[in-house]
Amino acid sequence: MISLLLILVSALFFVGIITKIKAKIAARKMPSILQPIYDVIRLFKKGAIYSSTTSLIFKIAPIVYFSSVLLAVFFIPFGGEAGLLSFHGDFVFFAYLLAIGKFMMIIAAMDTGSGFEGMGANREALYSMLVEPAFFILTASVALFTNNISFHELFAHFHIGSNLSYAISIASIYVLVYIAMVENSRMPVDDPKTHLELTMVHEVMVLDNSGFDLALIHIATWLKFAIYGSLISDFIIKSTWNLYEQIAVYLGVQIAFACLVGILEAFNARNKMNKNPQWIIVLSALAVVVFLTTLIITQKIILN
Amino acid sequence: MTYLFIIIYAISLIYFAFEERAKKFVWLLVIQGLILFGMAFFSLKEIEFFDFIFILTETVVVKSIVVPWFLNRVRRHNGLKRVYEPSMPIFYSVIIVMLGLIISFVLSNTILDNKLHTQFFTVAFASIIYGLYFIIIHKNIFSHVVGYLIIENGIFMLSLAVGSTIPLLINLAVLLDVVMGILVLGIFMNRVGDTFQTDEVNQLTELKD
Repeated sequence: MISLLLILVSALFFVGIITKIKAKIAARKMPSILQPIYDVIRLFKKGAIYSSTTSLIFKIAPIVYFSSVLLAVFFIPFGGEAGLLSFHGDFVFFAYLLAIGKFMMIIAAMDTGSGFEGMGANREALYSMLVEPAFFILTASVALFTNNISFHELFAHFHIGSNLSYAISIASIYVLVYIAMVENSRMPVDDPKTHLELTMVHEVMVLDNSGFDLALIHIATWLKFAIYGSLISDFIIKSTWNLYEQIAVYLGVQIAFACLVGILEAFNARNKMNKNPQWIIVLSALAVVVFLTTLIITQKIILN
Repeated sequence: MTYLFIIIYAISLIYFAFEERAKKFVWLLVIQGLILFGMAFFSLKEIEFFDFIFILTETVVVKSIVVPWFLNRVRRHNGLKRVYEPSMPIFYSVIIVMLGLIISFVLSNTILDNKLHTQFFTVAFASIIYGLYFIIIHKNIFSHVVGYLIIENGIFMLSLAVGSTIPLLINLAVLLDVVMGILVLGIFMNRVGDTFQTDEVNQLTELKD
């Protein structure tokens, strides 16, 4: 329950912090940290408008997307405590919950019949497909390292005791940060502020969404950022710490993650579209190195 | 600690596959030189002062300072900023280096000789194979030099694998080989660049008596 509350609270401010950091670096007047919340409230007050070419798929997609992400939040553990839902192999279920949401958004984009949205859906599907091995190899490595197969147990038994386990943690956090960037269609894979449809990925997919539906999509993005921030904090927080320490470190990690995303977006240029697949596959390659390191630590590969 | 350096070396190979800029290649070579020093320093059981100075010279001074400095000079002389598109897309190169590392780790696991330090074989094999692949996929002389240095780094690790002390004569020969090789290739590249206004090896196929 604490995990759910913390994720919901941190999700509210995540995008606000990113926008503030980017504005500060660009020496622009900083918007309020609550600005994204005001925007979403404004969207909730508006009614949704649907194109006559769309079908039921387009109408239910934002709700399914939002629900799948919200359900995925229930699986996130916090400081050695299990999430609201937990079972063996739940990380596979978690990954495919996020995939269901993304799948619905992709077919909704194709449902509009717009060439641009189809192009965006195509790109989003490719990037999600490429980033999936990185997530699974990384999680499998931690599962092998701790000899457990549920999200909660993975982190509860993850002990950093040697140089190699430090290396695993740092590499895992690095890969998770960039998986979060890809999954949320942020820099350097996608630029959420781009105004040109040809260079858009996620934004072009949601061009036809408005009002209530668009608000749900925005909130789902906040939640996804907070989910990955929580996973990163789970690598750092130890189950032996008391609750207040754990909450303080958790919030610190979430703020640091939001600041890092803001800094990366402020200083990084977006990749050329054809460079994105090779950039994403590097994440899988790094995850493979983490896996090989785990094999050495667990002595599945015996070297002298 | 040695394993940590091995893992960082494996990551550096992945970045060799991913990067395109000549300057980045030089920086990766600097990092690899420092990693090799770390590997040698932490793995040698008996280290004498002379050995220490020699390893320091070979890895840090030659591989991390002198050779990268010389390569940077060659790069600037020829106005080389970006290595031209390799004949194999980078996406596949990253997958190949990833597979190379997996195969190399699995092969090292099968070597049962107690006299060998198989931990070094893990990345040494991958480094040598990847160095050859790197030379094959690039048409640029500068990249060929970089590929040659990746192979040399792999050979250095193989020399670490064979014993607790590095045979001095072997390393001296390798060091001389590296320095002479880089010098000759660097001068060759400068001459080719000055004559043909390019650094692609394709130009050399048109040479006639």
